[in-house]
Amino acid sequence: MKKSVFRMLALALSAMLVLGACTRGGGGGAGTDGGGTGQTETVTLKVIMEEVPDTDIVMGMLDEFHQAHPGIRMDIEALPYDQMRDKIVASFLAPRATYDLIVVDNPWMYDFASAGYLEPLDDRIRQAGDAYNYEDFAKPLRDIAEVDGKVYAIPFYNYALGLIYRTDLFEEKGLRPPATLDELMDAARQLKSGDMAGIAMTPQRGYKVFEEWGNWLFAAGGAIQDEAGNVVLDSPQAREALTKYIQTYKESAPANSLNWAFDEALRATAGGQAAMMLSYNWMLPTLNNPDGPAGELAGKFGLAEVPGGKAVLGAWFWAIPANSNNKDAAWTFVHWLTSPEQDTKRVIAGGAPVRDSVMDDPRVHEQGFGQEYYATVKEILKDASPLGDGPGAEEMIQAVGLELSAAVSGQKSVDQAIADAAKQAGEIMSK
Amino acid sequence: MRAYRAKSMLWTWVRIIFLWTAVLVVLFPYAWVVLSSFKSPADLTNPTKLLFAPVLDNWERVFAGGITNNFGLSLLVGLATVLVTLLVGTPAAYAISHYAVGGRLTRFGILLAELIPPSVLVVPLYLVSYYLRVNGMVIPVIVAHLTFVLPVVTWFLISFFDDIPRDLEQAAQIDGCTRFQAFLKVVLPQVLPGLGAAVIFGFVLSWNDMFYALILGGETAKTLPVAIAGYNTFRGVQLGDMSVAILVSVLPTLVLSFFIQRRMIRGIGGGGVKG
Amino acid sequence: MEDRSVDTAKRPFSRLFPYEWRMMTPLLAVMVIILAYPIAYSAWLSFRNVDLTRPGRDAFVGFDQYVTVLKQPLYWTTLTNTFIFVAVAVTLELVLGMALAVSLKKQKRFRNLTRAILLTPMFVTPIAVGLMFRFLLNNQLGLVPVLLKKLGISIDFFSANLALLSLALIDVWQWTPFMMLMLLAGLENLPEEPHEAAHVDGANAWQTFIRVTAPMMKTIILVAVLIRALDALKVFEYVYAITRGGPGSATETLQFFIYKIGFGYYRLSEAAAVSWTVVILVMAVLVVSLWRTTRGRSA
Repeated sequence: MKKSVFRMLALALSAMLVLGACTRGGGGGAGTDGGGTGQTETVTLKVIMEEVPDTDIVMGMLDEFHQAHPGIRMDIEALPYDQMRDKIVASFLAPRATYDLIVVDNPWMYDFASAGYLEPLDDRIRQAGDAYNYEDFAKPLRDIAEVDGKVYAIPFYNYALGLIYRTDLFEEKGLRPPATLDELMDAARQLKSGDMAGIAMTPQRGYKVFEEWGNWLFAAGGAIQDEAGNVVLDSPQAREALTKYIQTYKESAPANSLNWAFDEALRATAGGQAAMMLSYNWMLPTLNNPDGPAGELAGKFGLAEVPGGKAVLGAWFWAIPANSNNKDAAWTFVHWLTSPEQDTKRVIAGGAPVRDSVMDDPRVHEQGFGQEYYATVKEILKDASPLGDGPGAEEMIQAVGLELSAAVSGQKSVDQAIADAAKQAGEIMSK
Repeated sequence: MRAYRAKSMLWTWVRIIFLWTAVLVVLFPYAWVVLSSFKSPADLTNPTKLLFAPVLDNWERVFAGGITNNFGLSLLVGLATVLVTLLVGTPAAYAISHYAVGGRLTRFGILLAELIPPSVLVVPLYLVSYYLRVNGMVIPVIVAHLTFVLPVVTWFLISFFDDIPRDLEQAAQIDGCTRFQAFLKVVLPQVLPGLGAAVIFGFVLSWNDMFYALILGGETAKTLPVAIAGYNTFRGVQLGDMSVAILVSVLPTLVLSFFIQRRMIRGIGGGGVKG
Repeated sequence: MEDRSVDTAKRPFSRLFPYEWRMMTPLLAVMVIILAYPIAYSAWLSFRNVDLTRPGRDAFVGFDQYVTVLKQPLYWTTLTNTFIFVAVAVTLELVLGMALAVSLKKQKRFRNLTRAILLTPMFVTPIAVGLMFRFLLNNQLGLVPVLLKKLGISIDFFSANLALLSLALIDVWQWTPFMMLMLLAGLENLPEEPHEAAHVDGANAWQTFIRVTAPMMKTIILVAVLIRALDALKVFEYVYAITRGGPGSATETLQFFIYKIGFGYYRLSEAAAVSWTVVILVMAVLVVSLWRTTRGRSA
């Protein structure tokens, strides 16, 4: 009996080894074509993007791109955020690229770049010359894409926060868009009545609560990191910001909304159950669209800078994986899409702007969403700052988000939460 | 006597109310989903709105997006998984149950695979599928599903075989069958209802998986759960479209379960072998 | 089991590969091929320091990862949360499932319809269930709180205190049908005589249930609870869709924790270590509690 067991195992083991040997050896370009010799040979670019309206706009521009560059075919995979990130992470494990072009969220930038997953683009940008006008991209965006002196990505679209508010309700109460935290709290208090909440907040643990609270922190004069990148979260301003945030949540936010994220805040505001929300600046056109979620309330919304003028910045960038086989073709596409003329078209079609010249362009004002909107966005982008810039940014954001959520839900005191958040953030980013 | 009858009347009412409350609790979310599937974006903002002008946009969009493909893929993956599981697991369950192969070690060892979280197993599976150049196709998804369906269903089957006395085979052998013939002709028919239940059980496990299908499958191998999860976008949950997708995944299974529930129940209970 | 077929004497092959092992071969082969490598790889990973953001690094670090994991307070919170979730959910499922099974067994009208309806929650993919309930239970926008408010009740389903319970209730909605199915099957195949005997002896319904029905269902209850508990340990989609582990760390569960570390922070080795601590723990519990009950099984 024992002998047969042993033989079975021996067989199984050798089968495994043989299988392992076979699969390990075989290299060969999986998936994409080498691009090789011929000019007439078609290259197919595998691209992964997030499933958002800005992606749809890009897809709408593909025909034009194909006319200009018939040798390049685009194969775009659009997925929701988490799924997209998971696939990108998984693709880094493979020795050769699964994708030729990816979009990168700003917290990932440092980690991906310093691990060598992204291709530096400085030379290509230089070659693109004045016509490309790289300096035209809003400065905070360019700063994010620069890691250790090299540029690794090109801005695609921004998601900086702004204050979205009901213009009609503000007019009724004689209010102006708040310029300070106290004014914000006051306005929220005044606008709260019956079923209408003063402000829809997003205290969901993790990214959301930090993304929202970050604006409060900036408005109170605090900062997350200093020039050198050290974490300076443990400050009286942070404590003030958090205390006021919690107070506003208790006074003016919808009841029992501890778990709210973007969705819930949007629905509350669009459904007339909240008078304000801190949200992405490009939500304004969506809300003012009569066919959109706001229905009858369309047209009654306005956008202002967050109190204090310094907003939390988020943005997506185009990047080329270092192990891609078709870097030139990928750059051709990025160069084409993000050049001033094409970017103008993208923004007119409804994309979120990243270039100063585009935001100033009268054509965009006319055919897009109006001069006031773009002027406000330009102001927002001038002084916007991401939540984390450096190693382990994603993890730092999650850690701080956990502490903030604990404070808002009453599980920790403000002092304890800020102290813990700062300590963990410091540890994570110094690894 | 009257007290007894009154009491049993009371219990009958309790039972009926309990059952129908359960049915309501089950149906309630679906009702909401059905309503949402017909709402326009403005109406969707207000999930509690019950009277509204229904629109078919969501349905058109979702079907144009190819949800039937996703449905077909989920079906394919589920059936393939279950087929392999049955072919491979049934004789093994029989051996473990009737011949104590490997003793208790096998019984527990099989469950080991159940415990390893998908987040961890997915990485090596991804690597292997990459090297074998089947990345993004349906095959790695089926293999991944096998990793959790095979152990559980086999384990399940073992308990069915446990219920069948050894004498049946002995009797058949005395009548001149080889052991394998005895297995095929005598033992297997007894377990058939149980196999049916196991098939359905394994199928459901595969049908519901999203994680493996997401990472290992590509655009061309998008199963239904991945498609449904796709409506949870950065710019909000697209409730209308997602409701349609949910209904597409539930309605056929509702119809199916209407017809098969009887067989499932009989199967799990142990088929024809009674005391 | 000395009864070997006549052919063995003629084919020495059969002596080396006895009948029962030949029946096992397909399963063994498949499991080795698809599971051996991933399991071994994940175990191997847990003893190294692989981190995707540091691509070159891949060294043997012994039990370092395990130590790091066990030292994190969040790990223990996660473990506790998960076990509470499993305990609450599975217990409720067992009780409700049994009540439903008993009720269904006695039901005369609309049998097939009710059974079919009650089975459906199992077939909806968990992420859809999570998203459905996220909006249904949303305090401002959800149908359930609106109805509750009409009765004067205001509950925050996803507050720090209730969130884990709410998730467990969602699990109950989805998986009680499974328990109900298993238990109903067990019930319908019980012999009548002991019940009749009990009735003759004057036992009421409850006593009959406790002393006669339940003991006979021991096996199937055990199987159902075990399968359900193992599955509940891997709860992920509800957390992912609704709370992301919050508020604070109230709903941080094991799968979500592992996913966050592996795919969010790119620390694959640490994630592997966490999973293996769980595997070892649960295997230990299983072996200790079930070793004795399975002894007499195969003799």
